[in-house]
Amino acid sequence: MAMGRRIRINFIAQAKMFFRSPGSVFWTVAFPVLLILLFGAIFSNTGSATYTIYVQDLDHSASSQELLQGFNDTKMLNVVMVDPSIEPDAYIKDNSIYAFLIIPEGFETALKEKQSVALELRIDNSSSSALTVQSIVNSMVQSLNLALADGTMVVSTNVQGVSADSQFNYIDFFLPGVIGLTAMTTTVNWMVGLQTRYRQNGIFKKLATTPITQMEWLTSLVLWQILTVFLSVAIIMVVGILAFDVHLRLDAISISIIVLTSALFSALGLIIARFVKEEETGGVAAGAITFPMMFLAGSFFPLESMPEYLQAIAKLMPLTYVNNGLRDAMIYGNTSGAVYNLLIVAMLTVVFMVVGVAISTWKQD
Amino acid sequence: MAESVITVRKLVKRYGDLIAVDGIDFDVMSGEVFSMLGPNGAGKTTTVEIVECLKSKTSGEVKVLGFDIDDKAREVKKRIGVLPQDFNAFDLLTVKENIEYFGGMFHEHLPADELIALVDLEDKRDEYFKNLSGGLKQRVGVAISMVNDPDIVFLDEPTTGLDPKARREVWEVIKGLKAKGKTVILTTHYMEEAEVLSDRVAIIDGGRFIATGTPGDIIREHGSGDIIVVRGGGMEAYTKLQGISSQVERKGNDVVVRVDRKQVLPEVVMQLERSGTYYEEMQLRRSTLEDVFLSLTGKRLGDGGEVE
Repeated sequence: MAMGRRIRINFIAQAKMFFRSPGSVFWTVAFPVLLILLFGAIFSNTGSATYTIYVQDLDHSASSQELLQGFNDTKMLNVVMVDPSIEPDAYIKDNSIYAFLIIPEGFETALKEKQSVALELRIDNSSSSALTVQSIVNSMVQSLNLALADGTMVVSTNVQGVSADSQFNYIDFFLPGVIGLTAMTTTVNWMVGLQTRYRQNGIFKKLATTPITQMEWLTSLVLWQILTVFLSVAIIMVVGILAFDVHLRLDAISISIIVLTSALFSALGLIIARFVKEEETGGVAAGAITFPMMFLAGSFFPLESMPEYLQAIAKLMPLTYVNNGLRDAMIYGNTSGAVYNLLIVAMLTVVFMVVGVAISTWKQD
Repeated sequence: MAESVITVRKLVKRYGDLIAVDGIDFDVMSGEVFSMLGPNGAGKTTTVEIVECLKSKTSGEVKVLGFDIDDKAREVKKRIGVLPQDFNAFDLLTVKENIEYFGGMFHEHLPADELIALVDLEDKRDEYFKNLSGGLKQRVGVAISMVNDPDIVFLDEPTTGLDPKARREVWEVIKGLKAKGKTVILTTHYMEEAEVLSDRVAIIDGGRFIATGTPGDIIREHGSGDIIVVRGGGMEAYTKLQGISSQVERKGNDVVVRVDRKQVLPEVVMQLERSGTYYEEMQLRRSTLEDVFLSLTGKRLGDGGEVE
């Protein structure tokens, strides 16, 4: 009754102040939207040629033309012809080329007479694009050999998405990461900012003279943070659907994870705020903790693509379990995995909340 | 005799080796305005914050309205109102919303409009707190300290940093609280403020009360006393006034007479008029709390609360 009233009053007051502050609204809305649009634009391949290969055709025969046509048909290679009179080494250097193919003279003749002949592929080993080009060229050569040997394709690779629904792509993978990331950054930053500001400007001292308890104060803040996070989630989903046609499920498990994540990182913010004196330092401290977590917890890239020692560090990050749980629930439909991560997040939430409340007090020394 | 609503005995607050409050004893009577006057760092705020249950004490006993602050802090908080030092409310809430917010924290509270009228802020009711001037913010603070209709109101440096006009406006509000029968505990480093508003003043320095009483009593007891200055009276006035009081001195062309009896003033006037002695003007200089502070501590109190 009295407790509920004080929680409600503070919740409403925080909501009013939030909507009256254009800055906080902007960040809650704009930050996740910017992230999705940016990463979406970078990683959503539309099928157009993305890798460029420079080709010097010294044979200039029907067979070499056929091979080049094959490259074009992959729709992954953009073929640029280089005049046979040009000296390759200097040309590669001057134009910063990462893949340069030379089709030797006598290529067609060799094919007809089934003699061995080698294509010369010069690549820049430091470029990941070059490696992709190399593998495409290799597979083309492979099929060419098969065709010449009149071989039948016995084994072939049939590539499919591993997600339950093959329509999933990178942006689908990325979106739950954005949700976890946003839930973390908004709550930690907001809590640290608010707690240090109120301590510094004397509002805590005033609150301390009223009957409101730490528990009531924190409960209302956490409830308000859960609501703001869901506001962000709604915007993320809408933008994802409109701009990239994402396919995500928002089920009971993912909603529970989002609720717990908001509480967990609010409590983390509370703990950070307890140890910094000034609002400015608070912002730095919050950044110092959330920024590395952003990259180490698999928000942007799958953890499996990281070196092993980084994967070990990732296991220590609360956000890792949030991201894994959200992806299990929202993309892969892996209920047991989602529940496992949900339980870890729930446990962490309880620990952080208990510590946060225990170390917070109105009373000063 | 009014009853004691605050009883403080042997109050001590230590921060490591630093002793902020060094064994203070005092009582505050119901309905009075009690001021603690002293420079920054004297221990005023530490003392009131302990009584307000905001800070813990090292030792001593504090009772507020009969409740021991050690185990009845909640009961105490319900019955007191506090304007903390450097008060701030929520920037992006209006005056009325702020008052309602803090009112809502208490089980029973006064209507916001009544409090807005009390501090004369009707035309700022819907203004955001952040847009108010310092003086208006302090008046909102006083209104908020009254939300639970407290018996005792603590005002910790309510006029620090305000311009003289705003300061006087806050004084009017404080006088209004006294008129409503509230007990007011005020801390300040402005001598004039303590003198104008208080029924009783405690002068505090180095964590101790060095004088307590009504401003008049303190000045009488510790002040250098009132003096009459006869300007331009010269040797003639000096001769005529000999023996009229315990102390008659020439300072340049002026004569300074110490007022050690009530009758000294009329006698000086009559003596000079009767003998037709020439003088330019006559001034009565009253001793102030400032003189008392200077004579008790050997220090002068600056405008920002620092000792000079």
